[in-house]
Amino acid sequence: MDSIIIAENLYKTYRKKFPYHYEIRALQNVSLTINRGEFVGILGPNGAGKTTLLSILSLQLLPDAGKLILFGKNTHSSDNRELKYKINISSGNPNFPWCLTVREILIFYGKLYGLYGKKLKSRVDECIQLFQLEELADRRYENLSTGGKQRIALAKVIINQPEVLFLDEPTVGLDPNIARQIRKQICQLHQQQKTTIVLTTHYMKEVEELCQRIYFIKNGKIIATGTPEEIKKLTQKDDMEDAFIELAKTDNNV
Amino acid sequence: MHLLNWLRQTITFSYRSYLFAKRNLFFLFELFFWPIIGVISLGLMSRFLALNQEMMSFILTGIITMNVLQITQLDVSYSLFYDIWSKSVKHTFSTPISVSNVIIGGWLFGILRGFVIYAILTIISLYMFNFRIPTITTMLIFLCGTFLSALLVGICVCVLILLFGQRAEAVAWALSPLLMLICGVYYPVTIFPPILQTVAYLIPLTYFLEYFRASYIVTTNNTTGTMLQRGFTLTIIYLLLFYFCLILVVRHARKTGLFLRLSE
Repeated sequence: MDSIIIAENLYKTYRKKFPYHYEIRALQNVSLTINRGEFVGILGPNGAGKTTLLSILSLQLLPDAGKLILFGKNTHSSDNRELKYKINISSGNPNFPWCLTVREILIFYGKLYGLYGKKLKSRVDECIQLFQLEELADRRYENLSTGGKQRIALAKVIINQPEVLFLDEPTVGLDPNIARQIRKQICQLHQQQKTTIVLTTHYMKEVEELCQRIYFIKNGKIIATGTPEEIKKLTQKDDMEDAFIELAKTDNNV
Repeated sequence: MHLLNWLRQTITFSYRSYLFAKRNLFFLFELFFWPIIGVISLGLMSRFLALNQEMMSFILTGIITMNVLQITQLDVSYSLFYDIWSKSVKHTFSTPISVSNVIIGGWLFGILRGFVIYAILTIISLYMFNFRIPTITTMLIFLCGTFLSALLVGICVCVLILLFGQRAEAVAWALSPLLMLICGVYYPVTIFPPILQTVAYLIPLTYFLEYFRASYIVTTNNTTGTMLQRGFTLTIIYLLLFYFCLILVVRHARKTGLFLRLSE
């Protein structure tokens, strides 16, 4: 298998000295490997370090120690700008410039990813069509519903046709109908374009439906890994939600 | 190809600034209301004090420069603020851009706004207060110096924002007037005590102001050639220094997770 993301012994601690001192160990000795075309879920309780891990993997945050290899290049020593053309990230609470329209937002990010002219126009139209944003295309971001905002976040995430997608809780706060639609669209992306997807979520239905493999993270450490079936077997639970609760109680590696 | 891509990405930020300016009434006030009020009130005060044409022009140059500097540097700062205010910093900085695209993109739009306000204020000063206009070359050189100074102030604001987060936001509106106070906004810097004069002569804008004003009042022993040489040399040194600091603070922000915190 072609490993597209290799993380070795990642450490990350958030520190603040003023006005009060605090230190949070967000990641401790985290190692993982993600293969090309895989759909991987990163699960864990609140504050476990999922978003920190996703932020490091998507080059938004620098680790304190450890090695991250993306597309065979060490991100510490290579020009990450070239790597950024191949990835994209979406977060659960998407935020974009409030006074730009849906189309303008997609054009803006498309241009930042180096798309211009006819190629940009056709790509923007494709994304609008794919996420059924036609009616909202000329509406300002500030006037969109939560579902609309989430859909534009997903449309933006594929504007550059990335090889790796990082999705941080893509269906948080959405009603079941829209959440189902979005899951379907993510699934199509993965199947049709063979995009590698790394997802964090708290919805176990999403995990069972989408993820081929799971990393379970707690207190900044990966404590379990495997397919959803393996995780259920490991925790001796029939349901993924029960397996999650069981793992969240565990302190050591499973 | 790399340069072309850099230019396109930079212009994308200029265009975004244009869209924000077009759609927010606040920008119209910022561009026209306060600068025009400032020029008219100072012009009327100068008339009340019965100042001659040279002195009146001297004072009006100060207020015009302050507005051009403020408007242009705000656009540099805004290019980062737009992402902070809309909490989209992480989306912008996760794209393959460099911080120079953001800064220069905002600056280019700032130059456009700076030109507009310079033209408006000069025309008002000319017709209402008989303002003395120097030659086109002097004006262009002076504006070039002022725009470069605005870029320096803008970068400085961005460095502070990326170091201290939104707490440092107020600096964007305070730094230009503070700088103008030291550069001799309504007076020559020769009235300062020696130590403050030294500080004033470390700021490039002081030289550009003296150069502009030398066309109607000579307040310094420096020749115009010396003033420009020193002004532009200092500008280049500070630009290199500030840009280096900006690169460092961007890396620092990636390390501390500031981009992520500013997006929550």
